[in-house]
Amino acid sequence: MRYKVVIRRYKDGRISFDTFEVEANPSESVLDVVERISIEKDKTLVFEHACHHGVCGACGMVINGVERLACITRIGDVARNGVVVLEPLRGFKVISDLAVDKSRMFGRYRHVAPSTLEKLELRLNNAVSIPREKLYDCLECGICYSACPIANTFPEYLGPSLLALISRSGNERVPRVVDSRRGVWGCHAAFECSVRCPVNFKPGESILKLRRNIISGRVRVEG
Amino acid sequence: MERRDKEILVIGGGVTGAAIAYDLALRGFKVQVVERGSLGAGTSGRTHGLLHSGCRYIADVEVARECYEENVILRRIAPFLFEKNGGLFIAITEDDLKYKDFFLKQCERARIPVREVSREEALRLEPNLNPELKAAVEVPDGTFDPLKVILSFAASAKKYGAEFRPYNEVVGFRVSDGRIVGVRVLDKVRVREYELTPDFIINATGAWADKVARLAGVRVPVKPSPGVMVALDGRIGYMVFNRLNKPGDGDIIVHHRGTSVVGTTSWVVEDPDIVRAPQDHVELMIKRGSELAPIVSKLRVKAVYVSSRPLIGAGAATTGREVSRSFAILDHSRDGIENFASIIGGKFTTARLMAEKMGDFVAERLGVSVRSKTSELPMSPYWLYFE
Repeated sequence: MRYKVVIRRYKDGRISFDTFEVEANPSESVLDVVERISIEKDKTLVFEHACHHGVCGACGMVINGVERLACITRIGDVARNGVVVLEPLRGFKVISDLAVDKSRMFGRYRHVAPSTLEKLELRLNNAVSIPREKLYDCLECGICYSACPIANTFPEYLGPSLLALISRSGNERVPRVVDSRRGVWGCHAAFECSVRCPVNFKPGESILKLRRNIISGRVRVEG
Repeated sequence: MERRDKEILVIGGGVTGAAIAYDLALRGFKVQVVERGSLGAGTSGRTHGLLHSGCRYIADVEVARECYEENVILRRIAPFLFEKNGGLFIAITEDDLKYKDFFLKQCERARIPVREVSREEALRLEPNLNPELKAAVEVPDGTFDPLKVILSFAASAKKYGAEFRPYNEVVGFRVSDGRIVGVRVLDKVRVREYELTPDFIINATGAWADKVARLAGVRVPVKPSPGVMVALDGRIGYMVFNRLNKPGDGDIIVHHRGTSVVGTTSWVVEDPDIVRAPQDHVELMIKRGSELAPIVSKLRVKAVYVSSRPLIGAGAATTGREVSRSFAILDHSRDGIENFASIIGGKFTTARLMAEKMGDFVAERLGVSVRSKTSELPMSPYWLYFE
């Protein structure tokens, strides 16, 4: 199949839209097509990618108007009349082309130092259970920040995935910032985060749960 | 003070380059890393995500032991990066079963702690395993998200002053009197070329090492060897599933976050930039993966990806300084360029060790005696890379 891939370019303050005509199999990922464009047609094309299988969260971008991970999005599933328009995530400063500066998200981690591993128990029988560890399903891709009306307009907001990670970690104490307008009280429950999340992590629901836990005193606020 | 005057340029922002930057920055050198794409955009970002116990390479006790030691170190210095659930090697055929005694004996020789478990226990631990399995051995495997490990090495390097320049590609070298006196770099963000003048240059571009070295007129005997991996839309276990036999196609399933990945195949290409996953390899992964866990054939395929390993080609043993059986440092002073070295081979799991050996090499070359400290200090979490 022949596709027209339109990419929003941003170089040194200038914005333009470049069109690349490419031959691709409909089952190929948008990311593989973008990588091929960068190798064969324009080596100055800037985009972020690493794992190519939906675990690292590097390649979030806006594909035909919708935030998606380019590595697990098949080009044939999203092209409209053979056209695919690619833009960087919203709510982040653009570094160049499709790559954004994720310090708006990761730069907030310092305030809360979230856990990275979910602790689980595998029950073998009534007497024996085995501890298991799992990296959270959340890829920290930034898609929920891009989709969130608050994160887009309120730079100090901790953001959906970070608040969800705090909520999921099950800690009995959270720092004061979580119980503030920068934290759970900034959320307007639009649930765009949960709609767009590529791994169904449900940040919106987790934020509301954390609110309830703070109000009821199950989670204590420190500092 | 003297060390701070020495500027070292690392080419390649994969796990090897990031780990080398950390090792050298900790030793007090001034380090810059240039990467043509984003960090982890090459081979290491596209790994399986397996923290090797060493058992996969058990035929070579030395290599296996090296993997296991690094596995233990990484768990200690960065526990937050790894799912530490172990792995199982399972025998399905009579042929697999014949391999078991050799496997257990080699594990003992390599001093890797393993434990034989009964068929019933194995199936209780991992219900999705093939119920026909004939034997199972538990090993200390782990799994990880590759990008977060690379970013953590980078964050740790930045803490000690290293500078990272992603989207900056080396496009040429200026060589004069047996030295690289200038490195030409294309900045893709500002779309301009500029020149760096480091004292020493390390080529940590893995499968791309020969392409980069040729820009300076020297060669690196690297054989880019791609492998196909198939990520499933769902997670089917916690412990890594391995086939109890010699390493082969489709004999391993690694689980991390919400997915399980079946791997892998292996062939050799000329140019690591031009690689696509052959459809028959994908089918082979599903078929062989289903022998380990029948559920594999029932799940939707979420992604198919290819990663080119930087295998050491013929000639490295004679032209390079092999510091390990699994990786090699190539000293290009033998080719007439005194301030240039390449590193190839290795595995994601052994990146820290590769960096330590490269650090020793550079320190010796620049006449600085300070040892590696990366195995002793806790690593910084990946989010600090962004500050």
